[in-house]
Amino acid sequence: MLRSLTAGIVLAFAGSRANVARTILSCAGIVVGVGALILVVTAGDLGQRFATAYSEANAGRAATLEVSAFGTVTDLDSFEEDLGRAGALEVSVYNRMESAPPLRADDEVIRNTDIVGVDAALGDIRRINMTRGRWFTEADLDSRAPVLVVNEALADRLGDFGDVQIGTDHWADVRIVGVSQGSTFNANQYSAYLLRAPSSGEIVFGPSWDPEDNSLPQPTYLARVDPSDEAAEEMFSGGVFTDRLLSASWRWGIENEEDIMVYRTDYAAETEELIGYLSLGLIGIAVITLTTGLLGVLNVGLVTVRERRRELATYRALGASRFTLFVAVVMEAVVVAVVAGLIALALSWALVAAGGALIGRFVWLPPDISMAVPPSAALVGLGSAAFVGLLAGIIPAIRALRASVVAGLRE
Amino acid sequence: MTVDTPHPVAATGRQPTPPLLRVEGLTRHFMVSGTRIDVLHDCTFDVSRGEVVAVVGQSGSGKSTLLNVLGLLDEPSSGAYTFDGVDTTSLREGRRSRLRGDGIGFVFQQFHLLERRSALANVGVPMVLGGVPLLRRRTRARELLEAVGLGHRLHSQPHQLSGGEQQRVALARALSREPALVLADEPTGALDAASSTMIMDQLIDQSRVRDAAVVVVTHDPKVAERADRVVELVEGRTR
Repeated sequence: MLRSLTAGIVLAFAGSRANVARTILSCAGIVVGVGALILVVTAGDLGQRFATAYSEANAGRAATLEVSAFGTVTDLDSFEEDLGRAGALEVSVYNRMESAPPLRADDEVIRNTDIVGVDAALGDIRRINMTRGRWFTEADLDSRAPVLVVNEALADRLGDFGDVQIGTDHWADVRIVGVSQGSTFNANQYSAYLLRAPSSGEIVFGPSWDPEDNSLPQPTYLARVDPSDEAAEEMFSGGVFTDRLLSASWRWGIENEEDIMVYRTDYAAETEELIGYLSLGLIGIAVITLTTGLLGVLNVGLVTVRERRRELATYRALGASRFTLFVAVVMEAVVVAVVAGLIALALSWALVAAGGALIGRFVWLPPDISMAVPPSAALVGLGSAAFVGLLAGIIPAIRALRASVVAGLRE
Repeated sequence: MTVDTPHPVAATGRQPTPPLLRVEGLTRHFMVSGTRIDVLHDCTFDVSRGEVVAVVGQSGSGKSTLLNVLGLLDEPSSGAYTFDGVDTTSLREGRRSRLRGDGIGFVFQQFHLLERRSALANVGVPMVLGGVPLLRRRTRARELLEAVGLGHRLHSQPHQLSGGEQQRVALARALSREPALVLADEPTGALDAASSTMIMDQLIDQSRVRDAAVVVVTHDPKVAERADRVVELVEGRTR
């Protein structure tokens, strides 16, 4: 059995090598089908990774809740403690200042900077892509100067960060520890994260820095809960998380349910689901293309078996068993299909690399996402190619077995 | 069975050995559109190792059918065929293939070399089927091609060889697994006189060297003359 199997495989390789024209002819349909399949799986994979990265960078990891309190929170420490009790694994203040204080660099005042007061824990809740320097650490809490992470646009404006101040009732020096990557949406807008620390607490939670603005302070937090926790299903309050939080609201001075707004911000799961459906549709099209390729190989296989009756009969005369011949014919189709799969993989790889270079010029891509064919797509492509070869080889192989040896030798 | 020349065993005084193949009361018929056509009737003969036997007869006398049965490519309708001590009539397909590959070499009139493969690769095919490792296969194929005078054409493909050279490649292929029996179906039928002589010389010489029995189906009286014995088939019956 093993001898027959080995002999069948050796003959299959020799046959494929000897009949290059037939091999190329059979390849064409499978190259297109497998290429389409690889590209679809790659696109789906990239889409899912991009959606996850984008959601994690802009809306938080699963499951992130934004919690806003309308009105004065009398005891922020107790409020934050209760966020933990309500199910938050990580908590960070996320106070986007309605009217942020200006910055000054080299005596030039920069207004309209979007400043968000945050804790270092934001780095665990959201994906922060740094292009230079680092994210906040616990050590920054001891800094005497307010500590900032700025986006690339602001970094370019600020120059070498040597002489930068923030303007409240006076100009105070700031320390910039890193530059974060901007997204497509805020690429040209100045923005900065300000670390909540003793040196900056007043700025983070203070009144509006616009003298005309009389609105009440509105502390906002991001809290990440376990995605399997029922609190993760919170949608615009009225859920488990809000109930848990409000159960001790007397400790921090807000008792009305309407004054607390909680909603889930991350959306990667929904996007992935959508991409999944889209991919399924595209995979369906690719499978149809692949089936056409299969029929092509099957057709070539059937024709060649008819044309090769004498050759196959010669093999039998030289001692090949029916099983050996069956393996040889099936394996020839598999070899052809796998060669086609490899060609499709190489073409897809080149296409994705070229497409990635082009797309990267116009669309923001997270730095950890590379435009490449993922191993899963390569495996799916080569696996389906081998499977198609197997299917396309079986019928010609059965035909080959049925052929009369004596009649074949007379041809 | 007709014995035209003395049996070599008797002639040389060697110790008698059991026959390599024995055919007893062998018949073969085919059904064509409901009509039975008897091709072989009650054939009986045997062949020993080292013996060269020519099977002669007119077209349609059943020579090729007999050769196919002897080569285990076809099964008799009745009668017994024992090869190398094995009753082949009860063998399953896999065992028949194994016995054919291990014990029988074929030389065809039309050579039946595999196109687009070198002479070396063609000679190697039976060894591939026999599970001979690559290096040994190549060495042996080279030796065999050198033995038939084609050491300089190892990498030539069939279409680059003359008819005589192709038949020598086919002979080397037939001998590659050192078979006990070589079956040659009109081996010189497609060759000129000089090539025919050379092929028959080599077929007989190489077989003698390897102590293989040779059964040659031929129309050519000159080829039949070279055999130790002649079996004549007349309307499917051995004489």
